[in-house]
Amino acid sequence: MAEVVLKDVMKNYGSLYAVNNVSFTVEHGEFVALVGPSGCGKTTTLNLVAGLIPMSGGDISIGNRIVNDLDPKDRDIAMVFQNYALYPNKSVFKNLAFPLQMRKLPKAEIEAKVMQAAKILDITHLLERRPRELSGGQQQRVALGRALVRDPAVFLMDEPLSNLDAKLRVAMRSEIKRFHHNLNATVIYVTHDQLEAVTMADKMAVMHGGVLQQYDSPANVFANPVNTFVASFVGSPAMSLIPLDVVGKGTDVALKSPEEGWELPLSAQNARKATASSQGTVVLGARHSTLKLHKSPVAGSVPGKVYTVEPTGDVTFAQVFVSGAVVNVSLEPTAPIAPDEEVFVEFDQQRLHLFDGQTTNALKAA
Amino acid sequence: MSIATGRAAGPSTSQAASRASGILGRVIAHRTDYLYVLPALIVMLVVIAFPIYYTIELSFFRTPPNLQMRDKIWTGLDNYVTVLRSPVFHEVTINTIIWTVASTLVAFLLGLGAALSLHREFVGRGVMRALLLIPYVVSAVAASYVWKWLYHSDFGVIGAIAVQLGLTSEPINFLDNRQTVLASLIVVNIWKEFSFAMVMLMAGLQTVPEQLLRAAQVDGASAWNRFWHVTFPHLRGVSMVTVLLLMVANFNSFIIPFVMTGGGPADASHIWITHIYQLAFGRQQWGVASAYAVILFIVMMTLGYFYVKALTRGDENRAGG
Repeated sequence: MAEVVLKDVMKNYGSLYAVNNVSFTVEHGEFVALVGPSGCGKTTTLNLVAGLIPMSGGDISIGNRIVNDLDPKDRDIAMVFQNYALYPNKSVFKNLAFPLQMRKLPKAEIEAKVMQAAKILDITHLLERRPRELSGGQQQRVALGRALVRDPAVFLMDEPLSNLDAKLRVAMRSEIKRFHHNLNATVIYVTHDQLEAVTMADKMAVMHGGVLQQYDSPANVFANPVNTFVASFVGSPAMSLIPLDVVGKGTDVALKSPEEGWELPLSAQNARKATASSQGTVVLGARHSTLKLHKSPVAGSVPGKVYTVEPTGDVTFAQVFVSGAVVNVSLEPTAPIAPDEEVFVEFDQQRLHLFDGQTTNALKAA
Repeated sequence: MSIATGRAAGPSTSQAASRASGILGRVIAHRTDYLYVLPALIVMLVVIAFPIYYTIELSFFRTPPNLQMRDKIWTGLDNYVTVLRSPVFHEVTINTIIWTVASTLVAFLLGLGAALSLHREFVGRGVMRALLLIPYVVSAVAASYVWKWLYHSDFGVIGAIAVQLGLTSEPINFLDNRQTVLASLIVVNIWKEFSFAMVMLMAGLQTVPEQLLRAAQVDGASAWNRFWHVTFPHLRGVSMVTVLLLMVANFNSFIIPFVMTGGGPADASHIWITHIYQLAFGRQQWGVASAYAVILFIVMMTLGYFYVKALTRGDENRAGG
């Protein structure tokens, strides 16, 4: 086990920067999720850590050792792939034994280690089977086993659950979490599913366009997103974002809808943030659970029109048009509300987010 | 549409018919269906079934050179006995086996090597690929003539180079020497065929999953081990098909030996097809030639049967579970 440090890591293909100046540290025994939409550079970053593709710049160290020029096999890593990447012509036993065989370990030792890994992952009864004779979940466990036998310093996982069906994915999610907990392993885990990242990781690295946006614990990323991208990417349903103009001065500051003309007065703290915006425009962000719907106007509310109502069982989501933007609001399942109804959305001044309309970065009180 | 109506019209008659006379009954029940494929069936019968039947018939008779069938004499298995007892038959059979095995094996291995080297990226890969494809697209007759000149004892480039390099004191007479003629022809055949194997294997290489190779790399496999444990097993199917096609083509080779040596000198470079051609169209020994052809046909069908069986068993294994 070891810590992994990425410093100013770059990967470019001509003028296209797949990974741009990414730096973060994965502490010993930590589970870090690299998360972002497809094409954000998360898998490229993982492949750079693995050494499967050459870096264009920066340093990567694993366990206090710079590994920039080392082959994958010399980096003391193991990798789990999206479609398992089991050797189809080998039995499960031989799949597990392969990395040890390549390291020319004595036969008895290979057998002992394979049996031990098989026992941990509960696949002892599958050892003689071929990968094609296994279910998706079993194949994934064998893939984990092949990583496990090596006792590597770092586990790298590239979307290991995305080939499984929804039910199995939830089950394997807790298995991988348990796996990490039992082994106290250092894990870097790539996923495009923010829910996987939030539920499994100690820290998440949100990437977009090759750039690391935010690196923090899921709770902090959720509570304090650094920009509108992170705000809209993390959390389900996504944080609602409404572009608005800033009007007024000092502590008497309000947000004005450029389309509908209404004004939302801000608290003193939020007023200081709003006046710090670069061009006098902000993006107002709010999570569904912090919003309230009213049939008539109350203080701190703005008008809107219900678009759809989606009951999900224990909570009902309403999508409301406010100043041309769609706002998600969670309601009691019994809430009497219908599409096209005129409503008023009340914001919680303590829990709303303000982002610069120009830079999209979170605003701080000036 | 009419197929469906045809079936729906008489379910009871079709059942009765199939109970009465099996296959024939089913054919009658599906007579409209068979009507559609009848033209193709007739063409197949004329161009495939009839020649096979005619050859088998000829092999049991002694037929005059002018092929007047009414003058033919029934000889039973005499033609087969003649063939099997003939010393030339044994020589030609050995030649055919050497020709087929050597050509297939070396052409496959060369093709594999070429496909693997062309699979990695390097400057001029496209040009190299085009160059290596030339043997496959060049006409076999033209290539045979060119090689005949390359091998020529007086004007041949190969002989001249060998002399200049001091390998031989005088140019080797490749094609007029019983010891060298077959090997020389095999070289030409390999040159002609390896690019076919190369194309097949290049297509196969495209389907090797990148993630498997990366997994093997992380697992610590060297380039050779990645090839042996991942790439080569993945090419198994396409390799078997390629070898089968090459073997069939080589068993049936005709153009290269016929154009370059005509089977000579003194039958030293005859293989089955050239020998059958010589017996039939050179010496008008229709019966013996036909017996040869029938034996070749049986050997080919047996080989093909076992090969296809092996192939499909592999597929079932892969598909199962």
